Amino acid sequence: MSRQDDTRVILLGCGAVVRQFYVPALQELEKLRSAKLVAFFDPLEEAREFVASRFGTAEPFSSVEDVLKVKADLVIIASPPGFHRAQAEAAFDQSLHVLCEKPMAGSSGDCETMINAALKSSRVLAVGHYKRFFPSHQLIANLIHQQTFGVLEAIEIQEGGKFLWPATESFFRKEQTPGGVLLDLGVHVFDLLLWWLGEPEHFTYQDDAGEGVEANACLIASYSRGPSVSVRLSRDWRTLNTYAFRFENALVHLRVNQANRVEVSLNGIPMTIAGELRERMRTEYPIESRALSTNPQAFVAQCLDVIDSIRNCRPPLVSGHDGWKAVKWIEACYERRTPLPMLWMERTQVR
Amino acid sequence: MSVAIVGASGFVGLRIAEQFLAESRDIRPLVRSASSLAVLARTKADWRICDFLSESTLSSAMEGCTACVHAAIGDANQIVEMATAAYRACAAANVPRLIWLSSASVHGLSPDPDTDETSLIHDRHPFPYNNAKVRAEWQLERLERDGKVEVIRLRPSIVYGPRSRWVADVAEDLLNGRAAWINDGRATCNAIYVDNLIEAIRLSLSVSEAAGQCFLLGDSESVTWREFCLPIAFSLGFTEKDFQSISPERSVFPREKTFSSFSVSKPYRSIAALLPDRAKRIVKGLAQSWRVPAIPLNPWRTDNTVKVGISAELASLQQCEWRLSFSKANRILGYSPQVSFRDGMRRSVQWLKFAGYPSTSTQSAPS
Repeated sequence: MSRQDDTRVILLGCGAVVRQFYVPALQELEKLRSAKLVAFFDPLEEAREFVASRFGTAEPFSSVEDVLKVKADLVIIASPPGFHRAQAEAAFDQSLHVLCEKPMAGSSGDCETMINAALKSSRVLAVGHYKRFFPSHQLIANLIHQQTFGVLEAIEIQEGGKFLWPATESFFRKEQTPGGVLLDLGVHVFDLLLWWLGEPEHFTYQDDAGEGVEANACLIASYSRGPSVSVRLSRDWRTLNTYAFRFENALVHLRVNQANRVEVSLNGIPMTIAGELRERMRTEYPIESRALSTNPQAFVAQCLDVIDSIRNCRPPLVSGHDGWKAVKWIEACYERRTPLPMLWMERTQVR
Repeated sequence: MSVAIVGASGFVGLRIAEQFLAESRDIRPLVRSASSLAVLARTKADWRICDFLSESTLSSAMEGCTACVHAAIGDANQIVEMATAAYRACAAANVPRLIWLSSASVHGLSPDPDTDETSLIHDRHPFPYNNAKVRAEWQLERLERDGKVEVIRLRPSIVYGPRSRWVADVAEDLLNGRAAWINDGRATCNAIYVDNLIEAIRLSLSVSEAAGQCFLLGDSESVTWREFCLPIAFSLGFTEKDFQSISPERSVFPREKTFSSFSVSKPYRSIAALLPDRAKRIVKGLAQSWRVPAIPLNPWRTDNTVKVGISAELASLQQCEWRLSFSKANRILGYSPQVSFRDGMRRSVQWLKFAGYPSTSTQSAPS
């Protein structure tokens, strides 16, 4: 039986992101008495069995229509992006709140439909850009706005490597997933850039897609009186997996997915400070403080934020509008796309 | 004429797919899992996902193809089993020709002088990979006696080019301050640019006299390991001084090789058949950490420098004194390398820059 204060959750889709992220996060939320999975949907029996084995009391469904009849508060949409809009609309029709996995939808038009449906039903629409919950990314937001190390001059982001995510074939079919590495990894990066800096004044975008989806992508962006930004994403070859921020007085490095670590090289100081981010120490009695969230803990924090926004009638940290902005920027990139030069291919063109 | 490419997500397989698509050839790329489609999905190829060890899934994936190029890699066990499965699948699917990418390492990593295709091969090499390649060739020779499929075995040695480990490893060793070579890199490097290997594959698909034969392959030029590594170093802003010259005795036998030896042993194979994948991964992890000497922490130790080493495999390759000849391939296939070593290395360096390595130039040698 669900406890009275638990947020009752329905899960739509039981694929890789659910196995890797939502299952352990929901288990933790159950321990915290914050949320309880009551039902889940996936068209594949094998996928349903995995979730069933972890949540004995939750009810499995093979139809979205049927699962949404279960009494609940929040729907987590973790199905392929092409289904997000229709499933969100169906959830709002049942007066349910929605946390939608990234990317918010396959097109900005679909995102707009979802936002309107949320407004009409007066329900929360949150988007799973959980990297905003990384303490390291929150540190960067503070450093940019408070100019602790001076003005931010440049950001250089390299992310990706050989593709190891246990994806299904639909992930690579353009008809079902309209983009490649930009839509996959880039949507997180774009959300962070939009959060930290707002929309860029100019940008150029290149990728290596032929008639399929890109494996390598490069973005150069500039901001009015702001930093220059370069982003390199790959699911082809290992990158440095580093976010570098050049401030007026310091260089700050973050390593991809290390949510609570930071490296700082102060100008004029011949060494680098590398360490863990912790809660601010009490100055009057400086005992060792607690470490801030790791990557999985940040994922749980995102779910807690959505639950709190439902309970306290406040917007979530990452709203549908934020998800829409990231998808819109990605769309603009694909519209302005130019081919990434692959000089070694010589006369060979990727078809 | 549709060509099945087994292992189309690997370094060679992917390049074959790219080249053949550019030539408007009809291809059928085969990969082991959806994740392997990450780079191939840039194209609109008619791919299939299948188990390379399963004759039945391979044969249905190859249905309608007129040839099969096998470029998949695997561990020592898989190499031999893949050869068997590939041959039988070709026979079942009426695919008349199988191009098997073997390796010059069937002759050892440092072959004896005068080695050529007539030299006897054996499976007593110190490295399981080489022995597996030998056994796979023997298995194919046995199987093709039924006359159902024509098998051509290609034996390249150091295949380099964009996405090659031979290029990327040198770059990463330099960037990490651990680059080394044996005896100043003076030994012979039997290199072949990947597009030259593909030229040999292209010829193997059509030359009828090639059936049942094996061919050693290489670039036109004879190069040393020093000549191979230096263009990569120069492109990254390094020089020969950044390579530490070490003696063969200082080579190391990596732990993963220890596991490879263990994994092909009869007792392990009989147990492994009963183990779930998760248990096998645990065994592999244990095997790889086995016999790691516990280094007591010495708070007074001041040497924090990177230890430079070289794998036993590379050390053996870097003692090679014999340039393998491709005269048989030239005579029977009409093989002639289309890309010079200089050009191949220039393209490899261009790729390094594309892949995000901090190249200072695209020159393959200092001016």
